[in-house]
Amino acid sequence: MNSASATAQMHAEVLVIGSGAGGATTAAVLAEAGFDVLIVEEGEWIEQGSVVPFSLQQMDLQYRAGGVTVALGLPSIAYTEGRCAGGGTEINSGLYRRPPEDLLQRWATDFRIDDLQPDEVMSIANEVEQAISVTLVPGPPSAPSDVLRRGAERLGWQNSEIPRWMKYATGETSSGQRQSMTRTYLPLAASHGARLVTGCRIDQLQVANGTASRATMTLTDGRHGTIDFRHVFVCGGAIQSPALLQRSRIHGFIGRSLAVHPTVKLTARFADELNVPGDVPVHQVKEFAPDLSFGGSASQPGLVALALSDQWRTFSRAITDWRRMSIYYAAITSEGRGRVRAVRGLRDPIVTYALTRHDRALLGSGLGRLALLMLEAGAHEVYPSFRGAPVVRNRRDLATLRSAFSASKASVMTVHLCSTVPMGEDTTRCGANSFGRVHDTSNVWVNDASLLPTAPGVNPQGTVMALAIRNARRFAATEHPRG
Amino acid sequence: MSSASRPRRLDTIVGPFADLLLTADLPELSDARRAEVVAFVQRRANGVPSFTRFGLTVIALVYRGVMVVPGGRSTARFLASKPIPLLGDYPRLIRSLGFAYVWDRWPDTLPTGGAS
Repeated sequence: MNSASATAQMHAEVLVIGSGAGGATTAAVLAEAGFDVLIVEEGEWIEQGSVVPFSLQQMDLQYRAGGVTVALGLPSIAYTEGRCAGGGTEINSGLYRRPPEDLLQRWATDFRIDDLQPDEVMSIANEVEQAISVTLVPGPPSAPSDVLRRGAERLGWQNSEIPRWMKYATGETSSGQRQSMTRTYLPLAASHGARLVTGCRIDQLQVANGTASRATMTLTDGRHGTIDFRHVFVCGGAIQSPALLQRSRIHGFIGRSLAVHPTVKLTARFADELNVPGDVPVHQVKEFAPDLSFGGSASQPGLVALALSDQWRTFSRAITDWRRMSIYYAAITSEGRGRVRAVRGLRDPIVTYALTRHDRALLGSGLGRLALLMLEAGAHEVYPSFRGAPVVRNRRDLATLRSAFSASKASVMTVHLCSTVPMGEDTTRCGANSFGRVHDTSNVWVNDASLLPTAPGVNPQGTVMALAIRNARRFAATEHPRG
Repeated sequence: MSSASRPRRLDTIVGPFADLLLTADLPELSDARRAEVVAFVQRRANGVPSFTRFGLTVIALVYRGVMVVPGGRSTARFLASKPIPLLGDYPRLIRSLGFAYVWDRWPDTLPTGGAS
């Protein structure tokens, strides 16, 4: 799919802001329904395979602020956002989970979401799984992935391989190609006439009496311009979408309930070489889900050094053995909430997040259990990522770990951000209606992770895509293209 | 202050501190490599979102102020080794960026910073 050239004045029947899991699917559904769709993306189109996955080069090219983004708090939580064509789907782990049916039911009841039928969502999930080729790895799991399986089985803990959106050209695991948005829904949208403009940041929507009609934009080269439209779908993700609405003076319940899956990490060293720099483990341990999940992280040598840096004085010698090391995480379903606030005069929003006491305790117990799992899997040493952490070599050291841990000393991070414009009819806690239209507006829609009422407790991309398609189809059924 | 001048100013503040930390943590890292890492840290610091950038500048100025007084470099190193709320997040960020770059670029670097 080639990017269209940006001009100072552009027009579209439907403007889609953002090209990730929400924006690409929205654009594909609406273009196929006959709408004139223009997708604008702040980042650039980076051809898959042209950068090393999980490298600093990829962070430079495809992450917002080079990956240095943080939700302020005690502790602050580092997070990452995709900033490229395809958004987060180009840079995430590629692991796929269906939306949990019981969670959909709970959302429908608690947030008064009309017509949120689990059967319909599951049917859409089936389509998504076909479109993005959700599948298991064709061969045995990688060694870092097998660590999770082995440790969990020794402890009798529930674990499984998580499928990914991946095509394997030769049947070899190493031949996998991610079926991200630049490979799937963006080309599909283009085949139905949608246009994509990259390097285009939307600064503000001009709104009068609840109706938006124009977007002001800044292009990468510094030029400014406008886009006139009939409808707009804001799909910039859980940080950028509420920030744009706030900059556009659209208020209501916007940006007040950021939900994330906070994670803490450790690095485990084994007898044999196992590090796979360009990939992540596909196994997850769900014995304590949804409160707590364990999985594996990208383990480039640079990331191993980063994981050891909190306790460099005592951990540094391990770095020479990075080929025998891999990084793992414990993720929690947090009770805490955060906020996204756009501030006049600042280009970027202020993001904050407050962990609760329960969250902090859960992070500590999660890290302890994860360390135990590593020992059971045969780890010689475990290096937890927090200041003052001990090296864990046996079960006795686990008590030391637990007593030394404090969330405030830990490097807490997250990649799953959601819930900043929750969907539902309860306007005291929802920013958009049951199908994503922002309350008190007539033509401003949100269709991305912002809509999820709470953090889902699983990798959220599948849920985001299924709900975005549901909402876009409802839109197409009620609005009609001008033709 | 123009947007073009702000990056140069933050560069000036962050660079010497990054150099100080790297010299202390990775004493055998060659001058050429250290200069490359410092340039990377400066580039990343310039790219952080607005509010983080503001906080970073304030804390960086505190450390810069400490570093220019007699005996200040050892005081700055001492402060950087302590888990002080907020103040401690700055050396943590600089160190993590620097280390990530060193081992991403030269994976077989020794813990002292020397080439293997």
